[in-house]
Amino acid sequence: MNSGRLIVGLAWRNLRHRPWQALLLLFALILSTTAITVALTLTETGDRAWDRVSQDTNGFHVAASAEFPADGSSAERERVRADLAELGSAPGVVAAAGPWQTAHVDGEIDGAPIRLKLQVRDADPAAVDQPLVTAGRWLDGRQGVVLEDGLAAAARLQPGDSITIAGQHVPVRGTALTVTVNPYPTEQPPTVWISPATLTRLASALDVIGYLIELRLADPEQAQSFAAAHPEVSGTWQEQKREAATDIQDLAGSLSALAAFLVGLTIATAAILVAGRMAAQIRQVGTLKAIGVTPGQVTRVQLVEYLTVACLAAAIGLAASTLLTPPLARLTRVLSVYGAQTAPVTWPRAAIVVAVAISVVLLATVRPALRGVRRSTVHSLGSNTRRPHRAGRLIRALAGLPLPLPIGLGLRGAARRPGRFIANTFGLTIGIALVIAGLALRAGVRSFGRQGLSLNDPDPISLAATTANMDRLSTLGFTIAAFLIGLAVINAIITAVFSAQDSARNHAIERTLGATPGQTVTAFLIAHLAACLLACAIGIPLGIALYDAIRGLTLNPIELTPLTYIATTLAALLLYALIALAPARLLARRPITAQLAYE
Amino acid sequence: MDKENLMSAVVQAEGLTRHFGGDGVPVRAVDGVDLTVEHGEAVSIMGPSGCGKSTLLHLLGGLERPDAGTLTLDDQRVDGLSEASWAKLRRRTIGFVFQAFHLVDELTAIENVELPALLTGTSRRAARRRAMQLLERLGVADRAGYPPDRLSGGQLQRVALARALINEPLLVLADEPTGNLDSHATNEILRLFAELRDTQQTLVLVTHDPRVGATAERLMSMRDGTIVDDTRLDGGPSRQAVLKQLAGWEA
Repeated sequence: MNSGRLIVGLAWRNLRHRPWQALLLLFALILSTTAITVALTLTETGDRAWDRVSQDTNGFHVAASAEFPADGSSAERERVRADLAELGSAPGVVAAAGPWQTAHVDGEIDGAPIRLKLQVRDADPAAVDQPLVTAGRWLDGRQGVVLEDGLAAAARLQPGDSITIAGQHVPVRGTALTVTVNPYPTEQPPTVWISPATLTRLASALDVIGYLIELRLADPEQAQSFAAAHPEVSGTWQEQKREAATDIQDLAGSLSALAAFLVGLTIATAAILVAGRMAAQIRQVGTLKAIGVTPGQVTRVQLVEYLTVACLAAAIGLAASTLLTPPLARLTRVLSVYGAQTAPVTWPRAAIVVAVAISVVLLATVRPALRGVRRSTVHSLGSNTRRPHRAGRLIRALAGLPLPLPIGLGLRGAARRPGRFIANTFGLTIGIALVIAGLALRAGVRSFGRQGLSLNDPDPISLAATTANMDRLSTLGFTIAAFLIGLAVINAIITAVFSAQDSARNHAIERTLGATPGQTVTAFLIAHLAACLLACAIGIPLGIALYDAIRGLTLNPIELTPLTYIATTLAALLLYALIALAPARLLARRPITAQLAYE
Repeated sequence: MDKENLMSAVVQAEGLTRHFGGDGVPVRAVDGVDLTVEHGEAVSIMGPSGCGKSTLLHLLGGLERPDAGTLTLDDQRVDGLSEASWAKLRRRTIGFVFQAFHLVDELTAIENVELPALLTGTSRRAARRRAMQLLERLGVADRAGYPPDRLSGGQLQRVALARALINEPLLVLADEPTGNLDSHATNEILRLFAELRDTQQTLVLVTHDPRVGATAERLMSMRDGTIVDDTRLDGGPSRQAVLKQLAGWEA
């Protein structure tokens, strides 16, 4: 058998021999790779949705508009209209639509007052910005209106319903999308397209009127310079697209911050898993070396094993993101209207995700793998545990403290294995930070919802739309919080289980000397609660910092009072004590001789 | 030690039985053993690998629970004790010495020795003083502050013996105490066990090594979970003859 086949064969057997450990590592990695991929994909998903609507509607490149009081002179109006119309023949313009007449007017939907912006449109398709009908039909010669899709959704209106404009009932002919205006309630007041016949009927009630012309340029990238050269231009497609993407970029930014923390937590989880696994495999490593497998080959076996898991996780993460991204993207207001389709997986994106997964695995595995390989073959064969660090000042200081024996033993055990203590504390810190961030996110969304309902919404329909949006965001916040708590709990369980296995030998020895199971469990818990206490001290402020990073400008900051801080710490300690208690008690129930049998 | 104590039994086992499940067919590791060990008596248990001698020792020290039979330690029935009660009993009554030493890696030699004393509630100062005395007596005082991984096999076993003796236990149980030692270290340990025997320390040791077996005044032989021979070396056949016979069995 050549070296490559031998390495792959051994790696495969290792994976099959301890499937649940490989599955845990795979699961943790999948969460990270999925979060990273979704964060990387969201912005492009938003862009694609906008581009699709723009393409389907012959979207504008620049728009120019002017408004003036309804009681202004007709000559003035005509002059403004003519000035705008002239833009249609400006150099670089390949298509123009309008000027359309616009007007602001008070309306009513199901008895609720609402301010509307009317835009007069012809029955014939426009060369630029012909709204994409999503239900019903476009305007025709008859009386009627077409509602912007966001308004129709917020007010739950369908073709065949009617709304009141300036005191007159007008039938709804259809609903439609465009990129020229953002969907309601992002854009206020909402746009309603009306036929010229309907405008004539309403003319007496209009208070602000104006014109709008929309242009397509030969080179869309020249929109900004065109706008600079023509003061009448009120907006470009780039500005509109940027504005539409605000929500989704906020979400992508939040997910990126979360993904960074998830990667940190995954490194911690993987490090604990790998270290625990290496401890269990020390004898196997010794056996392999004893029969002539080189240290390099042993390292490669470990690497093949974990890199297989990393690549699998990257592939699953990339696939999972294609399922998760559209529903997540639709949680934003604009894409809830425009719809969202997953952006295809690109090579650069796949490379980033694979690189992150491999980096996580390398960071977590290289040190314990090399340590296992460097250990002498005789030692590896003879013992299943790694020797602790020599006594330092901290341990000598702990030894001198008048602590009860179980507490002293627990703390000294932790101090003699600082790497493991740091890994445990790191994992718990990230876990606690994520839980705090998740809870703060949920609280922030709720607080914003209440504030939004009271301050920001000028009309009951907008209020209803905001409420619906808050409900969606609240669900997202709750889902993320639950997800993060679940992940932190899994990390804590892994930490506790592996630490318990690691402590098994010492506990067994202490029991032969007369330590009761209660004392060994107490020693174990003290060591872990010390790590948890430290993790709370760092993790709670870190969680608030993470929340600040992901809340964007929308959500309010959250400040923790000292009492909340203490209560949170106590809750975390209690939860972790409960988690760590189970493996410690299971261990204490195992026969001493079984635990000493490895030596 | 008064005469009454010398005559009373430290260990009394009747019908002690321990099974291990293996592929559906239980293996009788210890099969109805009757055993009495008197105060101050040193007993060696010898027998081939897998005969159940270590399991018997574990049963006597409460590290394993019997499936049947009764066990009395110092007139106290202990076979039904809970794990915690066994632990409390063990810390004052029993000292263990293992083949693999089983020192706590995180503690130095002297900290390992004083640990059982601290578990009984002895003050730190008194425990440290007693631990140092024992290390001096066993010739490893100069290694008191060393962690286990910096000690030789002989030093490890002497530290383990000091740890077993710190609470002046009623009974010392030693499981292959020289199994991991070279001949020089084995001789040192044999000398120490002989000294223990001379101080009337009650001692039960399990061994393959006839030289270790010879440190006791009573030799038991086990096969297939039962005691097949129980000989006092100070009476009946000569010590050398018995040891020769046992060495043949071992081979």
